[in-house]
Amino acid sequence: MAKSIIDGMFGKSPISPLQQHMTSAHSCIELLNDLMLAMKNHEWDTAELIRTNISKREQQADVLKKKLRLSLPSTFMMPFSRRDLLDLLLIQDSIANISKDVSGLMCNRQMTFPDEILDDVIELTKVCVKTSAKALKAINELDELLETAFGKRERKVVSNIIKQINSLESKSDTAQHTIRAKLFPLESSLPPIDVVFYYRAIEWLGELADSAQKVGSRLEILLAK
Amino acid sequence: MDIIANHGELLLILAVVFGLFMAWGVGANDVANAMGTSVGSGAITIKQAIIIAIIFEFAGAILAGGEVTATIRKGILDASLFSDNPHLLVYGMLASLLAAGFWLLIASSLGWPVSTTHSIVGAIVGFGAVGVGVDAVAWNKVGNIAMSWIVSPIVAGTIAFMLFRSLQSLIIDTTKPFENAKKYVPYYMFLVGFVISLVTIFKGLKHVGLSFDAETSYYLAIGFGILVALIGTIIIRSIKLDPEENEDFYFTSMERVFSVLMIITAAAMAFAHGSNDVANAIGPLAAIYAVIDNDGIIGAKSALPVWVLLVGGGGIVFGLITYGHKVIATVGTGITQLTPSRGFAATLAAASTVVIASGTGLPVSTTQVLVGAVLGVGLARGMAALDTRVINKIFLSWIVTLPAGALMSIVFFFALKGAFSPL
Repeated sequence: MAKSIIDGMFGKSPISPLQQHMTSAHSCIELLNDLMLAMKNHEWDTAELIRTNISKREQQADVLKKKLRLSLPSTFMMPFSRRDLLDLLLIQDSIANISKDVSGLMCNRQMTFPDEILDDVIELTKVCVKTSAKALKAINELDELLETAFGKRERKVVSNIIKQINSLESKSDTAQHTIRAKLFPLESSLPPIDVVFYYRAIEWLGELADSAQKVGSRLEILLAK
Repeated sequence: MDIIANHGELLLILAVVFGLFMAWGVGANDVANAMGTSVGSGAITIKQAIIIAIIFEFAGAILAGGEVTATIRKGILDASLFSDNPHLLVYGMLASLLAAGFWLLIASSLGWPVSTTHSIVGAIVGFGAVGVGVDAVAWNKVGNIAMSWIVSPIVAGTIAFMLFRSLQSLIIDTTKPFENAKKYVPYYMFLVGFVISLVTIFKGLKHVGLSFDAETSYYLAIGFGILVALIGTIIIRSIKLDPEENEDFYFTSMERVFSVLMIITAAAMAFAHGSNDVANAIGPLAAIYAVIDNDGIIGAKSALPVWVLLVGGGGIVFGLITYGHKVIATVGTGITQLTPSRGFAATLAAASTVVIASGTGLPVSTTQVLVGAVLGVGLARGMAALDTRVINKIFLSWIVTLPAGALMSIVFFFALKGAFSPL
């Protein structure tokens, strides 16, 4: 039987697919903690396993991303702009992508950080994962936001989460700075190519926290409409 | 005159049969749309929806359908032009019933968005303008009706927007949504009861033989509003807050309050639909009866007999039982984003708009009013994703249904004319 006009006017909500995608992206970055541990213990087999796992999850996120994009015709009237939603999706996806890049870099080069900065890098990774976890929490508030029709009270709840994200991100900035400051005097005693990639890895970890923060700020724009 | 005298009975029987056919079509197809938001929100089961529809469509048609029936019967055409040829009016109204009925059947089997209202108005205007003469159509009135098709969804959307915004600030976006729902929802229920009963008392009860002065009417409406609120309060009293179900989603218990009250709004919607769509479906039957009852004297005062509305109410229930329940089962069950609070706001807004239109004698499309109401909730940021292509569909329905109804009724008109009064 043909769809009735009433049935036909309801599109599929993009909110739960967006949340699924963020969950998937976060599951990638989460594994970086384990990867760092494996690296610390020089367990390269475990590390390789984690890397393939991250890569698999990244592909999963990609599939979710494409599916959501295709299910959002421009005729949809949504409580937020379609553009903002697609931007948010892209930022979420970058968390998965960068996580994959970091794991690839570390495994391919069997990267071991010098003891002087090792614990700091592990700590930085933890902060990044935490930032992303908060971003996921914020995204998971979206169904509550929708239920309250983006009401003031519920927006405050989300604003508070976003504040936490921001402070975690600045924590990651400080951590990066500390690591770089410690690395600089060591440079001359280390193989130059390794040093280049230490900087690269630290930069990418910083980008992860950045992306998580961007998820929060983009969400804020989405709420404001 | 001879034709009316000779074939009056046969013509009336035909009119009843065609009228039943129309009402059957409404019951089989259109009711599903009217109940769509109620069933779709998961608030009431399909079985409940059918029972509510049977009772309240019938009640709406009989208690509040009079004004719309009157518009269809004598508002669209200038009856004085038929004084010399009353049989032409009878043929035309018969043709209109047939045309609208067939069009409904064809279009809904093809899945096109159709409105009984548009097809019947198009059909009457069609045979009037072509079969009798352009002057036969009361273009002023037709213009008003056409305006009401544009205005009614907008009005419903505006009401829904404001209604939903008030729900948002009083109930949903608060620290205690469940408690506030229990506290404030009875006031909304009062509003439903008050508006619907006021319109019904002022405009609908005349032909049932009851009439009240303004003061008594207001008192009665207030009383009925309080009664509805009381029933609502008693029903929600039994709903308990369940912290466990709220862990995942903070608003589950609150939604259950709306869910129970949806039964009352669904009833209001069915009543509204009955008052408008059923009434305009049997308007032509009322016109034919008036001519035949007065032996062909047009314009003679004849009250709208209740049995005519009974035919409409009976036909719709018949349509529901034979076919409509299947359609209801497919409409709305897949709408996951329509939570009871949304369904409540949209249905209430639509029901109020349609009942007010019915009271004013304006035949509007319940489905389109409902679409307007849902879009209103969407504009208040209450819906995740609404497909605005539906607006195109509504325009399409205006553009296609009116000429289709007109064309078919012209054909049927000349066929009937040829069959009964061969020259």
